[in-house]
Amino acid sequence: MMKETDNSTCQRAGDLVSVLYGEATESEQREFELHLKQCGNCRAEFAAFTGVREAIGEWRDQALTGFVSSPMVAAPRRKSALAALRQFLDLSPLWMKGAVGFAAVVFCVLVVLVFGRFSSSPREVPIASGNSPAVYTKEDVERAVADALAKQEAVAQKEAVARKEHEQRVIEEVPEPKVIVSSPGAKSSNLAKSTGSPRAPHERRPFSRAEREQLAAELRLVSSSDENDLDPDR
Amino acid sequence: METLSTDEIIVERALSGDAEAFGEIVRRWERRIFALTYGILGREEDARDATQETFLAAFRNLRGFRGEAKVSSWLHRIAVNQCLTRQRRAKVRNESALEDSAESDLAATVDESPMSVVEGRQRTVAVRRALNGLPLELRQIVVMKEFEELTFREIAEALELPLSTVKSRLYTGLKQLQLRLEKFGAE
Repeated sequence: MMKETDNSTCQRAGDLVSVLYGEATESEQREFELHLKQCGNCRAEFAAFTGVREAIGEWRDQALTGFVSSPMVAAPRRKSALAALRQFLDLSPLWMKGAVGFAAVVFCVLVVLVFGRFSSSPREVPIASGNSPAVYTKEDVERAVADALAKQEAVAQKEAVARKEHEQRVIEEVPEPKVIVSSPGAKSSNLAKSTGSPRAPHERRPFSRAEREQLAAELRLVSSSDENDLDPDR
Repeated sequence: METLSTDEIIVERALSGDAEAFGEIVRRWERRIFALTYGILGREEDARDATQETFLAAFRNLRGFRGEAKVSSWLHRIAVNQCLTRQRRAKVRNESALEDSAESDLAATVDESPMSVVEGRQRTVAVRRALNGLPLELRQIVVMKEFEELTFREIAEALELPLSTVKSRLYTGLKQLQLRLEKFGAE
């Protein structure tokens, strides 16, 4: 049979446990502390109960430190992404909901744009001329460049052949150089003869080697005759 | 009290078919119920089993919960009943959970050599034995106070007892524990 023990002399069991567990009011605590100073029996009990509590606490801490949640609740079911989003929106303020909506719309537009750009068939980079709206493919451009190069090459070859023929003709037409002993007055006529050509007089052609030598000889003759004319001693 | 009203709302959700609601109740109260069963039974394995059985029984009897008592009181009563059932079964099988656990704890002290650890272990074993020796009415209140850390008012509400009775029973329980621990210390 359980015996409802009370501290026999003081009858203050209720106050003692209230103060012991910190549930007494300020006035109750103050009053009981005054009582403790006068009552050795209650003081001894208070100290003994404090020791008992410490011992129980030690055991409790050991027991509950290793407590692990039971399997039935240890791994709560994961919420779906939609449920999590719904919960987030429920808890968010209005401006946050608006911002999230706007961000979602922008994101969707960007995704559609990017997807559309990469999913369509690959096109050649258009090359447009300045005044024409025509658009050429890469092959077109390469073909045009090749044609232009071929034309340029053909023109250059033609020019080279023409130049060769011309040089050949010039070499053939040039007469044997003559020794000129004429007077300075006949100089130009001789030169004209020596450099005579079937072309029109206004058409100048480059001097051949023979012509250049003849011209140099004539010039030497002219200069020496001029010097003789100027010499006062003669 | 907000927590209690929230508990009742959660129970209502569970009754209306919300599968996650009861899990929330378990998460909320599991630790306290384990503390209670551990304090009463004195052995971790038994306490864990009793805790699980408590919540299973609560789930089975969820429709019987009419909201007249608080969820915490309802769970507490189920847990105490589970502990008593386990102790009765243990007596029938002539088992002493207390002795088993005390022996295993003392065996552990042999492995751990430092004297302070041994003394600590011996003290916890003594506390457990002293607590287990208390009558259920006293043990229950000591455990609710020391393990569940409930206030006097909460204990009174849970056990439907006057506040003064709770205080006097706690005083008596502490007094008997003091005497038992002094006796173990003298042995």
